[in-house]
Amino acid sequence: MADYDRRGGSSYNPRKRRYRDDDDHDRRGPPPAYGRRRFDGPPPHVRVRKQLIAIAENPMRSWHDEVTHIANLFTDNWDDELLRGNFVDLVLQLAVEQPLKTPFTAAVVLVANAAKPQVVDMLLAKLSSRIEEKIGAGEWRDVKLYLKLLACLQGCLEGEGVFPVLEELFARAVDLQTASSEDTIGTEIVKIILLTLPYVMVAAPGKWDQKAAELMDKTDIIASEPHQSQTLVDPYHPDPGDENPPQSQSLIGLLQTQLQHEANNGWTLSCLPRPWEFPLSEVEQRAKLEDAPKHALPPIKVPETVVTGPRPLFPEVYFSVYANQEVESVPPLSSAASSLIRDALVDTINVLDYNRNVTARHLIDLDCYFAPRTFAARATPFDKLRDIEPPKSTWKPEDVAVDAVFSQLFQLPAPEHKLVYYHSVLTEACKLAPAAIAPSLGRAIRYLYRNSPRMDLELAHRFLDWFTHHLSNFGFTWKWTEWVDDVYLPDVHPRKAFILGALDKEIRLSFAQRIKNTVPEPYRELISEEKEKDQPDFKFANDDTPFAAEGREIAALLKRKAPDEEINAVIQRIQSQAIDRDLDALVASTDVFVTCVLHIGSKTLSHVLAAIERTKDRLADAGAASDAARTQIITATMTYWSAHPGVALKIIEKLLNYSILTPETVIQWALTGLSGRTQGEALAAAHVYEMVFNTVVKVTGRVRQLASRPPSTAGDTDDAETREREVSAMRALFSAIQGALEAWESGKDVDMADGDGNGDAETRETVKRWAERWLRVFRRRATVEEAFLVEAKKERARRKEREEEEARKKAEAGDGDAEVVDAPAAAA
Amino acid sequence: MRGPRGTVERLDQPSAYFNRNKRRRLEKENRDGDNNDDANAHNDQPEEDPLKNATTLYVGNLSFYTTEEQVYELFSKCGEIKRLIMGLDRFQKTPCGFCFVEYYTHQDALDCMKYIGGTKLDERIIRTDLDPGFTEGRQYGRGKSGGQVRDEYREDYDEGRGGLGRALQLARERERENRQYNDDDYGRLK
Repeated sequence: MADYDRRGGSSYNPRKRRYRDDDDHDRRGPPPAYGRRRFDGPPPHVRVRKQLIAIAENPMRSWHDEVTHIANLFTDNWDDELLRGNFVDLVLQLAVEQPLKTPFTAAVVLVANAAKPQVVDMLLAKLSSRIEEKIGAGEWRDVKLYLKLLACLQGCLEGEGVFPVLEELFARAVDLQTASSEDTIGTEIVKIILLTLPYVMVAAPGKWDQKAAELMDKTDIIASEPHQSQTLVDPYHPDPGDENPPQSQSLIGLLQTQLQHEANNGWTLSCLPRPWEFPLSEVEQRAKLEDAPKHALPPIKVPETVVTGPRPLFPEVYFSVYANQEVESVPPLSSAASSLIRDALVDTINVLDYNRNVTARHLIDLDCYFAPRTFAARATPFDKLRDIEPPKSTWKPEDVAVDAVFSQLFQLPAPEHKLVYYHSVLTEACKLAPAAIAPSLGRAIRYLYRNSPRMDLELAHRFLDWFTHHLSNFGFTWKWTEWVDDVYLPDVHPRKAFILGALDKEIRLSFAQRIKNTVPEPYRELISEEKEKDQPDFKFANDDTPFAAEGREIAALLKRKAPDEEINAVIQRIQSQAIDRDLDALVASTDVFVTCVLHIGSKTLSHVLAAIERTKDRLADAGAASDAARTQIITATMTYWSAHPGVALKIIEKLLNYSILTPETVIQWALTGLSGRTQGEALAAAHVYEMVFNTVVKVTGRVRQLASRPPSTAGDTDDAETREREVSAMRALFSAIQGALEAWESGKDVDMADGDGNGDAETRETVKRWAERWLRVFRRRATVEEAFLVEAKKERARRKEREEEEARKKAEAGDGDAEVVDAPAAAA
Repeated sequence: MRGPRGTVERLDQPSAYFNRNKRRRLEKENRDGDNNDDANAHNDQPEEDPLKNATTLYVGNLSFYTTEEQVYELFSKCGEIKRLIMGLDRFQKTPCGFCFVEYYTHQDALDCMKYIGGTKLDERIIRTDLDPGFTEGRQYGRGKSGGQVRDEYREDYDEGRGGLGRALQLARERERENRQYNDDDYGRLK
């Protein structure tokens, strides 16, 4: 009956719509009028903007039609001043905002050049000054993207076009590299030159082979020499005993060889689009382009000294999760396509962080922006690639897209944006084209799972974090059955550690019962009953626990917010009993008190934070009383929340903010205390790493903030003092971490622990390996922070120079208001 | 403020909700003003944007069962959380499907808009919106029955948010009480 009713109700709608349709007809009249309405639509500048922004997005439209159409729409409305001005700006904007479209917008410019050559002059004037400006600011990606646009216009440039700029840039790179072997700006410049070159070669085919060869002869020395700090950023950290260690290749070294190969083969560069090349049938258009005027490139000055810019520069290593498959689903390292496509995609991803939906769209549509037949058909299953007949491509667009995102997610020392951005891009891509992307992700996950033990430990944790976050967006579905054998490995094994870490992180984003239902039977054993309880057990509820009565008493006192004296009395009692039992009195009372605070705050984080806020003085006093007591605060927290280490970690973070704990306490607790008690096996636990890592990030974040803060008006000396103090505290922390880990790496501590007959040789080796991996992470972070401090110091000096300069200028102007000087400087 | 209009829309803009309220305020001012031209001139003046340095986000469409810990776990991916305030039912003081997340920096809040808004937490697509900052009292639902207004008349059955809209539930209950039917009679209709 109900169904029938509903059907009756819905049938009302179509009738209503029909009725409306009739109404529309009445109002608008017959179809021709409707057609006319569309004809006088938006003004030309709006249409050009819209079409230029969407260029090449529609695979059903031929590039040539689209390019000619937009160019004509533009030149036909040349008198529209709004259009004329906006066009050039839009072309420049697209170059840095949507880099995949650069060849296509360049083609529009080239076609427009035939009818209105002035437009190219207008564009070149702005483009060259932008390039100059970006070189000056050290915004190297923008330099690269503008140069790419310029390279695509090589065909309409007078003389040698882009080459003089590239040569001048190269000269700077040489200076920098000869001055210091640690230099990274020179490396970055060479990378830019090598990535610009291919676009020149396809924009003006056959004309510049000699010039290119000369340039590449020169870049070879810099590009082929592995950079000193390349091992710092190597995503792999294989065991010395690894029989088949992955070989990481530097990005520019790879590029140099690939381009050399291209040069030997007449620069076919078959993956790059050439929308400016019209088919032979379009004789007229080809002739027009051929005869279009050439333009002089306004000079681009490269400053004598170039700067690193806002982002620290490091050598880059090529990373792929689809390496060494039986069928090539991504361009091989031998092909320039691997670098060129990757470069365009990575720029797109990093530029468009403010709209992950558009990023994902570009990734899904990536075959629209490269030469036809570069890729296999979209969503071709991996198994079907085998059936593709040779000259046809087996490159799966989804794999190429996913690989590009992973290259950023696994970028060392850090990608440009927060890691969660790259998570969100993969989520959106998966939402846009689940059938195409999900299987590619599945293969990537399998590769990463297999290889995570030989990966850098920081990256292994990034994988863990991404994997669990990703699953939380897709109903926690994963084929856990294929890893089921690993469930029976010891906890200290890296793959088992991954499984344990993953289950914990999934539960943090969801809840235990839910996750239990998503995994096969053997995994459920790993989710303890404790995890399913709403609140942990209060150990003092059990009379067998020492100080049970006192514990319950304190909890009751805290609950009714009793005055300090009453709590004091109980604490005294605990301490005197502890002394009688030959225990550390402070440790005993701290354990009871902290456990009680956690217990009364066990309902939610807000509750525990409120409880800590109320008792923070007592906690701080306890912490300050002795190292052992301070460490006990962590032990009590980790013990109380042992089933939910995520909660414990958040509480510890807050305790650090209150300075109840110090970063050293955390390090000491994790790397000496806990690790000692577990014969080093704690190093395998994901949450222990997370705890140390977060603490380090907190300390380094603070130092960075201090180092890059503009000087306060109060006085430079105060700033400098605080800075120095924090910097040396940071260094001390790093050396404490390294000291503790080196002990584990050398195996000394393990041997000592072994005195009791615990632990076998295999476990001992595994623990050593964990220590090695930990060490590499924190040594790198220490190096990176030092590098940051060096740059920050330079920046402070530059800022000071600028301020003095301005002050001098002001003084020379002689207005006498030199005091107001630091207003503009602070904004700079 | 950010230079020329971009070729791609930004996800870290305040939603239409905030802008609509702002427009309403402005319109009200306009209506109150005697002279229309005067009011327009007033509008042209650069008004201090309350969201310019916002560090707080309103987070909506949470399940009533989503815990603070879950919110922390996800939102910490954009930066350390300074404060989290769960939205509560005005009468029952239980979570009612929204919260405020406050970060230490404006950038973290913007990143959260870009990277977390519109993704899933506890298997629901959540909504984030820049917020001028939490003030006492805003943690409570403003619906008639204590929850959020949107949960009063919602016609879809949303298990994570207490089933049907509460006003509808009440109306149905009353209807059922008024009629002297036995529940069993309705069983067939399912």
